[in-house]
Amino acid sequence: MKRNPFSLFIGLLILVIFGFLLFSFQVRQSEVAVVTTFGRPTRPITEPGLHGKWPPPIQRVYKFDQRMQNFEDRVTEGQTRERFNVLTSVYVGWRITDPAAFLPKFAGSANPIAEAERKLDERLGNIKSAVVGKHSLSDFISVSDSGTNLAGIEGEILRAIQSEVSSNNWGLEVAFLGLKRLQLPESVSKAVLDRMQAERKVLADKSQYEGEKEASIIRSDAERRAADMVSQAESEAIEIRAKGEAQAAESLAAFKKNPELANFIFSLNALENSLKDRSILIFDQHTPPFDILRGVSTNLLNPSR
Amino acid sequence: MERSTQKNGLVNFLTLLVVGVAGFAVARSSGSLGGQVAALFLGMGLLVALVSWFQMRLEENERVERLELEELAKCHSATAMFDAKDSEVFPAQRAREQFERFFVPGFSALLFLIQAGGAWFLWHWLSNPATAVAIRNPSTALALFGAFTLVLFLLGRFSATYARLRNDRLLRPGASHLLLDAFLCLAVSIDLGIVWSGSPKADAYVAFGLCALLVLIAVETLVALVLEIYRPRVKGKVERPLYDSRLVGLLSQPEGLITTAAQALDYQFGFKVSETWFYHLFFERALKWLLLLQAAAVVLSTCFVFVDAGEQALLERWGRPVPDRTLLNPGVHAKWPWPIDKAYISRTEQIQTIEVGFTPQEGKEEETVVLWTKAHTKEDNLLVANREPAVEETAAPNTAAAKRTPPVSFVTGSIPIEFQITNLVAWAYNNGDAMALLKHVATREVVLYCLSADMNELMSSGRLEASRALAERIQVAADARGLGARILAVGLQDLHPPVKVAEDYEKVIAATQTRQAKILNAMAEQIRTNALASGQAATVVNRAQSDRIAREAGARAQAALFTNQIPAFQAAPAVYAQRAYLQTFARATANARKYVMLTTNTHDVLIFDLEEKIRRDLLGDLDVPAPKPTK
Repeated sequence: MKRNPFSLFIGLLILVIFGFLLFSFQVRQSEVAVVTTFGRPTRPITEPGLHGKWPPPIQRVYKFDQRMQNFEDRVTEGQTRERFNVLTSVYVGWRITDPAAFLPKFAGSANPIAEAERKLDERLGNIKSAVVGKHSLSDFISVSDSGTNLAGIEGEILRAIQSEVSSNNWGLEVAFLGLKRLQLPESVSKAVLDRMQAERKVLADKSQYEGEKEASIIRSDAERRAADMVSQAESEAIEIRAKGEAQAAESLAAFKKNPELANFIFSLNALENSLKDRSILIFDQHTPPFDILRGVSTNLLNPSR
Repeated sequence: MERSTQKNGLVNFLTLLVVGVAGFAVARSSGSLGGQVAALFLGMGLLVALVSWFQMRLEENERVERLELEELAKCHSATAMFDAKDSEVFPAQRAREQFERFFVPGFSALLFLIQAGGAWFLWHWLSNPATAVAIRNPSTALALFGAFTLVLFLLGRFSATYARLRNDRLLRPGASHLLLDAFLCLAVSIDLGIVWSGSPKADAYVAFGLCALLVLIAVETLVALVLEIYRPRVKGKVERPLYDSRLVGLLSQPEGLITTAAQALDYQFGFKVSETWFYHLFFERALKWLLLLQAAAVVLSTCFVFVDAGEQALLERWGRPVPDRTLLNPGVHAKWPWPIDKAYISRTEQIQTIEVGFTPQEGKEEETVVLWTKAHTKEDNLLVANREPAVEETAAPNTAAAKRTPPVSFVTGSIPIEFQITNLVAWAYNNGDAMALLKHVATREVVLYCLSADMNELMSSGRLEASRALAERIQVAADARGLGARILAVGLQDLHPPVKVAEDYEKVIAATQTRQAKILNAMAEQIRTNALASGQAATVVNRAQSDRIAREAGARAQAALFTNQIPAFQAAPAVYAQRAYLQTFARATANARKYVMLTTNTHDVLIFDLEEKIRRDLLGDLDVPAPKPTK
């Protein structure tokens, strides 16, 4: 039979590649691995690089991400010390520290990391409720930065979950934990929103009526000032007139020289002034200058007769 | 039919059985979707190989039976035995005929149901998001599927050649399935290689592709079943088995396509193109080298990594960061071929954004106008403290000394946080999902800040300060978690009260404006009133001044006049007085209506009707009340 060296080379190359893949495996910097021999964990690998193994089913390799994993737990409802309901959720940072211990507990599921997080989530629900119940709402909410005790609450939850994890030897450590959500139940939220609306109404009314008040004050003040100005002006006017009168009175000395004549002239002036407007005067024949008519025949006044 | 053919058929069946079981186990344990779909093809091939092997046995029995009868016929030229009917004389033939008549169509129908049902089930199964899982040990699965490829290909190639040489129609279906399954295993191997190199979606694409292929094969089987009903039966003609798919045959032996193409070329050009030196050179010698060159080019292309501007790459050798070359900056870098060296490229200088405080909703993010009163995303309510409530609460005496919980309010809004990766090694190696952790950390800082912040301040004067403070806090928290990121900005521009109360907030703003408007109107009136009053006052004073001047001047003039009148009076007192009187009388009464009584009869009664002379305007403004009705 004719041997084709090309086909032989290619076949050999493929065999070498597949063989290499079957007998070796890589562990990345970000990974840890456990090699099982007939199902029993025999070799934990924490150093990255190329490693050898027997092909399946003799040996199998389970690789896990050794970096810090993080997840957010479910939002759970709990009561504070004064029986105030709050909803909380935390994020958790954890990492695999002992892959050989981690493997048998979580590798049975399709996604061991997700399974471990599910278990942690279950434990966290209890712990959170217990810790929240020991604190009052003022430890969560405060008007000043130093008023809350959130760091302390987070620390309590962290210590509790760390204790549970280490006592069960899950092969992982919970490194940190932080509060991610702090909310109120829906019914309470609705009440808070109603209160916020009422508060806004108070502020709106306050603004509106304070505006009216201030407008009234401004108006009345303006009227008062106007009245002041006018009355001050009038009083000033009286003073001015009085000064005028005083000044005019100084001229009266001239009339002392002939009071009789002065009075006569004043009378004439008064008469003239009093008759300025339309007047009806009825005179008899004795009144000068009509007295000139006295003794004159009335017929003279009417020549046609 | 020789026994070697039967053995070949049995080997095909057993190989498909072993590889099928092993392939399914490997696919399940690694979680490869493509591998699991390929396992169904292996199962179908197994059934076809089993049925064809069984049919081979029936034909072999028939052949042996005929030989025996021929031998007997030679010994006994005429016996009663040969007078009997065929069914009695040839039981093996009858069994084979019955098998082909009933079992083969039934099996083909069953095959169609498996193909169609399998395609339907797999398509739904693959469409379920929960189906896809991260592939475990892709390198091992790749190697095993590669090994399956080799085994199936070698055996399938041998069987196909053997079937073609011996023109064995029953060996061909199993051989076709072996070759097709070899190609499918190769596809799964390539798919696992792609997954291993960092593209996990490739597995789902291959799985869906295999599903589509299954649908095509099912359609072909159905068409073959329908045509089988109307196919003319010619006695003695050797028929192609119904379960022998032409499509499978074509896919498993693609060189058939080349042969067909060559024949078409021969026909088109009018001479045997397939026998020219070019055809032989290209297709028979150069093609495999070209393919090898192509494969070498693919491998060579993995020896270089191109890092673009704004990017950095992490270089790993056998999974371990390469000393002194862990971080590759923009440019071309040489490396060992995949899978020895692997480079992971990230955009480090790009300004990236995470959003805190809301759940994005498709379509709503494109709205150009963002209002408080209209929800643009599914916004979370953040708790904030009220430092200055609208109405001061009266505290119970016993709580005066204790810590009091301030009234809480809600604030919502999307808070974009911009950041850059400053340390790719820390970003990639310290945390499994650095982006998610940064979002968690940022959310925590935002929530904590709001809990002790005043809402009104946060939404007005304190917004800029809060933005700066939050950026600092998030930076400190990110550094503590070794994220290797720099926080550039925290945007609080979209912070607002919840949609339900947003309108009330706007009403407060409106009320503030109304208040201002009222004050301004009053101020305008104030200006008007004061100006008018000022004018009036000035008028009054000016009039007084003028009166004073007139009065003084008049008095002085009168005094001067009087001083001058005295000599005149003294000169002729009576005349002067009379003249003055008459002059004044004339002036004063010039406009007056005068009645002069020139009568001496004093007994006359004079009646003047002066009624019409009363000025009407004196009575014009009088408002005379209407008389009350008498009871």
